[in-house]
Amino acid sequence: MIARRGRWSSVVLSALCFAALACSGGGESKTAATGDSAKAGAGGAGKAIKIAMIAKSSDNPVFLAARTGAEAAAKELSAKSGTTVEVEWLTPAKEDGEVQAQRVRQAVNEGVDAILISCSDAGKVTGAINDAVDRGVTVMTFDSDAPQSKRFAFYGVDDAKAGQQTMAELAKLLDGKGNVAILAGNQNAPNLQKRVQGAKTEAAKYPGIKIVGVFNHIETPQDASAEVIRVNNAYPEITGWAFIGGWPLFATSLLSELNPAKQKVASVDAIPVELPYIEKGVVPVLLAQSVYLWGDVGVRTIFDKIHDNKSPANPVMPMELVRVSKANLGDWARQLKSWGFTDVDPKYLALPAASGAPATAAPAAGQ
Amino acid sequence: MAELTQERSAPRGPGFVRRLVASQETGLVIVVTLLTITLIALAGSHLDRRTGLEVNNFWNPNTLVQTLTDASFFAIMAIGATMVIISGGIDLSVGSIYALAGVTMALVLRAMGPMGAGATAVVGIVVCVGIGLLCGLINGILVVGLRVHPFIITLGSMWVLRGIAFVISKAESILVPPSLTNVAKAPLGLGGGLYPVPMLVMIVLTVIGAIYLTRTVMGRHIFAFGGNLEASRFAGLSLGLIQIGVFAVSGLTAGISAFLGASFYGSASSGDAQGYELYVIASAVVGGASLIGGKGSAVGAMLGALLIVLIRQSIRTLHFDQNYEWIVIGCAIIIAVVIDQWSTRMAARRLTKAAESARAAA
Repeated sequence: MIARRGRWSSVVLSALCFAALACSGGGESKTAATGDSAKAGAGGAGKAIKIAMIAKSSDNPVFLAARTGAEAAAKELSAKSGTTVEVEWLTPAKEDGEVQAQRVRQAVNEGVDAILISCSDAGKVTGAINDAVDRGVTVMTFDSDAPQSKRFAFYGVDDAKAGQQTMAELAKLLDGKGNVAILAGNQNAPNLQKRVQGAKTEAAKYPGIKIVGVFNHIETPQDASAEVIRVNNAYPEITGWAFIGGWPLFATSLLSELNPAKQKVASVDAIPVELPYIEKGVVPVLLAQSVYLWGDVGVRTIFDKIHDNKSPANPVMPMELVRVSKANLGDWARQLKSWGFTDVDPKYLALPAASGAPATAAPAAGQ
Repeated sequence: MAELTQERSAPRGPGFVRRLVASQETGLVIVVTLLTITLIALAGSHLDRRTGLEVNNFWNPNTLVQTLTDASFFAIMAIGATMVIISGGIDLSVGSIYALAGVTMALVLRAMGPMGAGATAVVGIVVCVGIGLLCGLINGILVVGLRVHPFIITLGSMWVLRGIAFVISKAESILVPPSLTNVAKAPLGLGGGLYPVPMLVMIVLTVIGAIYLTRTVMGRHIFAFGGNLEASRFAGLSLGLIQIGVFAVSGLTAGISAFLGASFYGSASSGDAQGYELYVIASAVVGGASLIGGKGSAVGAMLGALLIVLIRQSIRTLHFDQNYEWIVIGCAIIIAVVIDQWSTRMAARRLTKAAESARAAA
């Protein structure tokens, strides 16, 4: 009986705790802010601007590059303007739209001025973004948009166009004929679904190209590489791969598994670890997203919005893909190095410059 | 049975405090309270841009309600999963049931087209709860009918159910009608961006779960089943029905959680709640449930979920590196279970000593 009564006492105690926690008005302090600890609200020159950055997952190197870009831009803007710009990395360890929505709410509750987010699931985060904007927080998306939300700007590639470009490059490599597989990453990611659709649309223009299948996988280098090997074993007739994300090339295993004489590959993304694939001809063409610029342009655009009340003319700011091949491998390697990538092989840095430098200029906020 | 052990080993003496100390959940309440106080003290503050007042980064209504909301989706599932664990089983499929129920509800509502807010909510809850209940019943029937360990059955159904969700949704993230989101995000007069519905549902279901486990014959049968299977058989209990019943309740709570989750976040996809089964089991275990059965409570499950979410929140609030979240939660689970086992051993030792003293006195 004692234990039973004790349990009921706990129920009562717990209920009281929750009532106290949630309804005590917990915490809206009665004093106006003074001192250094209080952070400024959005806006005002000379005060701190705190930006929460929420990418899709912490284990994807492209988002780590975006973080580097964001932090570098924040440092530069702080030095130039006298307004401290802070970037807080709130990216979940793995892709989860619900966790992203939770992180958005947490950031707002802790008084950030702006949020820069790449949406794992637009449907899941739209409500949280709208709540944030309603509470005075500036929100911008990058890489993967939430077009129905109240975000003020989006910066990223046109995904359908990226899929089309990838397939067009592959078709060129295959002389317009062959059995093609599409490596498609997470089946739930809307931006990847658009890329797949774009790739299919482009393939339909080539009567000699047949799509064998679209293959999804967990977006880690190991899982993606394993999927490519599995599919190649199951479909020996495959003569070309369109990787609409560069996941399997973020590891080196396919350098020995793919035979360029039998299969051609075109892929999105070109970070340092992928460069040997170009050098050895295993993947002759990479279509690079300037992933560093996701963070760099994102922070600058948010700064313009909060500090100078300046919005981009077009809320959708398109990022162009950069075609990387043997011809401009050195230029691209140097570009990556200048963006803060520390793992660029020096032998690529020593390569001569191509006649035309890669077009990686960031769009101006007013663009 | 563990329940009886608990009763016998409770500290003697009258009064509310003694009864509280005897309760398994009191330790959790103390830990949650200490963590809350620590967070309040160390959280720092910011200016609320609406009011211009300085607010504590943790001790403010928005963060508190948000923390409880985050906990509610796990906690609701953990209440059902705890019943399975008390019975000596385990349910690995709750995350997949959540995904399938949410996706099915979204598809049905999309197929039915625009309806009134009330009708939308009724259809939504009926579909979600119905799918959850059905999946739970199937799990239970398979466990009992095939005489295969629940770990294997629910491991299989975890993949099967998520696969069905994937196939029927075509991997699409399906939006739910805004009227449904308005239900889950009803401010109930609080305003200011506070959405207390999931938190309130969690509290209500915890109370119902506690009543069911401690005040009903069916609830006591679950403890009996998990505590001593042979004794339950000789006592003439319907073992099959008990086992099917706990899986049905687990599916039911996953369905309710799916309704709240899909409505609150505004969409459902086959990828929802991936890995949540581990959080749910962790909540139950941290809440005092024993994986060998016979021990656990609904209040403990809720407090376990709250503690795990609070740990996550504290990493965020105290500006620790987010990448350490899994390490911290893993350590917390191990520590919680070790402390629980240690206290159980101590209680058993006290009981033995008391029995020996009584024998000596006689």
